[in-house]
Amino acid sequence: MFSRRDFLKTSSLIALAPTVPGFLARAARAAQPDRDARVLVVVQLDGGNDGVNTVVPFADEGYAKYRKTLRLGRERLVKVNAEVGLHPALGGFGKLLEDGRLAVVQGVGYPNPNRSHFESMAIWHSARFDPEERNGLGWLGRGLDAAIARADGSPAAVFVGGGQMPAALRGRRSTASGLTRPEDFLLAPEAKAAPGKRGEDANDGLAAFVRRCALDGYAAADRMAEVARAADASAVYPTTELAGQLRLVARLIKGGVGTRVYYVRQPGYDTHAGQLGAHFGLLNELSGGVKAFLDDLTAAKLAERVTVLAFSEFGRTVKENGSAGTDHGTAGPVFLAGPGVKAGLVGKAPSLLDLDPKHGDLRMSLDFRRVYATVLTDWLGLAADVALGGPFDKLPLFRA
Amino acid sequence: MNDGTKSPARGQPWAVYEPSDAEPWNLCRVVHLHRRAGFSATWRELRRDLKDGPKASVDRVLAGTSRADGVPENFAEMAALLAESARDPERLKAWWVYRMLFGPDALTERLALMWHNHFATSIAKVREAATMRRQNELFRTLGRKRFGELLHGVVRDPALLVWLDAPANRKGHPNENLARELMELFTLGIGNYGEADVKESARALTGWTVADDTFKEDPARHDDGDKSILGRAGRWKGGDLVKALLDHPATARRLAWRLGQEFLGEGAADAAGMKMLADGLRERDLDVGWGVETVLRSRAFFAETNLRTRVSGPTEFVVGAARALETFDAPPSTLVLADWCARLGQDLFQPPNVGGWPGGREWVAAPTMIGRANFAAALVGGRLGRGGAALDPAALATRHGRGGGLGDTVGFFDELLTGGSGSRERVLAALGTLAANDPATVRRAVVLILASPEMQLN
Repeated sequence: MFSRRDFLKTSSLIALAPTVPGFLARAARAAQPDRDARVLVVVQLDGGNDGVNTVVPFADEGYAKYRKTLRLGRERLVKVNAEVGLHPALGGFGKLLEDGRLAVVQGVGYPNPNRSHFESMAIWHSARFDPEERNGLGWLGRGLDAAIARADGSPAAVFVGGGQMPAALRGRRSTASGLTRPEDFLLAPEAKAAPGKRGEDANDGLAAFVRRCALDGYAAADRMAEVARAADASAVYPTTELAGQLRLVARLIKGGVGTRVYYVRQPGYDTHAGQLGAHFGLLNELSGGVKAFLDDLTAAKLAERVTVLAFSEFGRTVKENGSAGTDHGTAGPVFLAGPGVKAGLVGKAPSLLDLDPKHGDLRMSLDFRRVYATVLTDWLGLAADVALGGPFDKLPLFRA
Repeated sequence: MNDGTKSPARGQPWAVYEPSDAEPWNLCRVVHLHRRAGFSATWRELRRDLKDGPKASVDRVLAGTSRADGVPENFAEMAALLAESARDPERLKAWWVYRMLFGPDALTERLALMWHNHFATSIAKVREAATMRRQNELFRTLGRKRFGELLHGVVRDPALLVWLDAPANRKGHPNENLARELMELFTLGIGNYGEADVKESARALTGWTVADDTFKEDPARHDDGDKSILGRAGRWKGGDLVKALLDHPATARRLAWRLGQEFLGEGAADAAGMKMLADGLRERDLDVGWGVETVLRSRAFFAETNLRTRVSGPTEFVVGAARALETFDAPPSTLVLADWCARLGQDLFQPPNVGGWPGGREWVAAPTMIGRANFAAALVGGRLGRGGAALDPAALATRHGRGGGLGDTVGFFDELLTGGSGSRERVLAALGTLAANDPATVRRAVVLILASPEMQLN
């Protein structure tokens, strides 16, 4: 029978290094546990979040001009300053802002915006515009490739939720895992056995890849399952899917798992029709879930280690589309939340009266890769240049 | 991409495969055919095909007469009954799994799954199970016709129209959702059109809507003005747009890519080979049936470089395991099987988004591997609903004249499930030298084979 502990004990492990799962080999080399390392939790808003109705530029004359059925009254907004306010469903975010735990980066995008969900998401995931340069790797995966190994053998990144692993997490060497429910990591007793031979067919790409995934999964199984099922009765979360996923992330952090990056997805932002009610529900789920998550970690005295990053693949059209919805647009806000962030508005809100003549939508005020560069270096302490394919100026997003 | 230097398929990848000393017609290739073009096969079916050779075997796959075991006499009646009662998403999923597991025509179900992925529509937004099922029937009836027939059908399908907000797209209030995905995902692929084409195509599609759960073209809502699409000006209508997209060479390329994604492994065909397939499709008015038959009979398909080079999708894995192990007398609950497909990443009728399941290596991640092992344990242990007893794979091996000792039994299941991947030795080592050829040990052996990395590739 194959157990992680036995495996780590075997002295031949280092000799087998090229073919053992990456994180086990690195775990065997690493000296100290890594429980104080900072953690990033990414919340991906799937489908293209309407930034204009998220951080609402009520003082911009263009707002009333372009938003007829979707206009949110100024008096209902969560107060930020004399120019913008948050969507009424973002009350939780409002409190975080008041407490100094929320940064709102405005008008984040990239040059020549692409309005395909998949292309634009691939750009955000890879930080590369040329598909040839992506190699299936993501900005976090590349960043984590260069990180010091986690001593406990936990995966570098964990995706919580159903469906496919986000490409952002894919690295050459760093391993990412995913789970939907705590019991997903419990391996049936009958299936326990070494899932493959090691040290053969080095040039057999796909087979070696599958074997590595199996080894990684089995090795992490017991520990992850134990931690994920730990009690957290005192925590109070809304009963939404996103909150449930964030709660599982909190359990893993509280359980001392050395994972540096967690990733969750909130689907539904592709509001082509009947946007008002749907968008309210989505932002309410987002704001309530993130607030509960940070409160839970604050009570556990762990919040200082955690930053939440929320982004979407694009904003939506400034002009509504006639079915009380909006189509795929360009730049939008990015949120950073946690006690480590320098709270407040960052960057300037894009003008609704000065749209980009090329595509007739919002001009971006900040390149998303500057946000990434700041998060990688100032928060995670990782090298940004390789991860992002070049140097980018940082932003004042974190407390010194 | 494979440069093809190692493969005899180089130059003429789509010529008909003829067995040779280097690439003989063996059990491995028979298993390969059924795992790629269906949902695995039973031992009797495998032995029959091994004896009859590739032509007869592929003929049967294409004709939907390959299944000799497990197809109930009253299948059509049962399927119709289940269809009728499929009023919620769970029973809808179970209905389809029933068709895949018990129907006579595995290839048609595989193609339906391919088209479901291509025109990925989710019940999460469409809501109505009956509407989703009608779309699914379209994939079944038109899935091997000319692509034009299928596309014209699907773009007028109520589920797809609701999914992509067509009813909201009307004169003066264009909604780009349908127009964009029609070009990007269903036909041309990215890079073959511009943003202006999307906007103008949305106008061409105005007036297409759904009334009483059927397609309707409403002239009052149609924008009748001039539009310029793909360099041609005119008073485009929705039908004109679909025709122009079908005529575009990029559509043939995308169709060839889709067939390759479904039936070929990593590096099985190079760019030149894919271009030949696309050209062939274009010369034949995008005849999908021709494309499927060409691929399944081809040297590229049976080439050494195409064996075990594709990650088995969750549904193929789940249904295939249940079929190969002949769980026909006390079958697992199709509701539970469908739930397992979802847990392993493929929630039928509920793809992650309009792009469908990317497939390939994305199916594989550490927890999925645990999930597949756990499914294997649940299937073999009889824990998939209906209060079933554990399977008795030892008896299955004996029934097929194998099972003379544990080594022979494990070898039998390695051959049946993977075509003989060599996992026999490793499984025997895991079972230990003292293991006996008893039902419990054989069950564990089957779980280990199903959970093995080799089994995840077909």
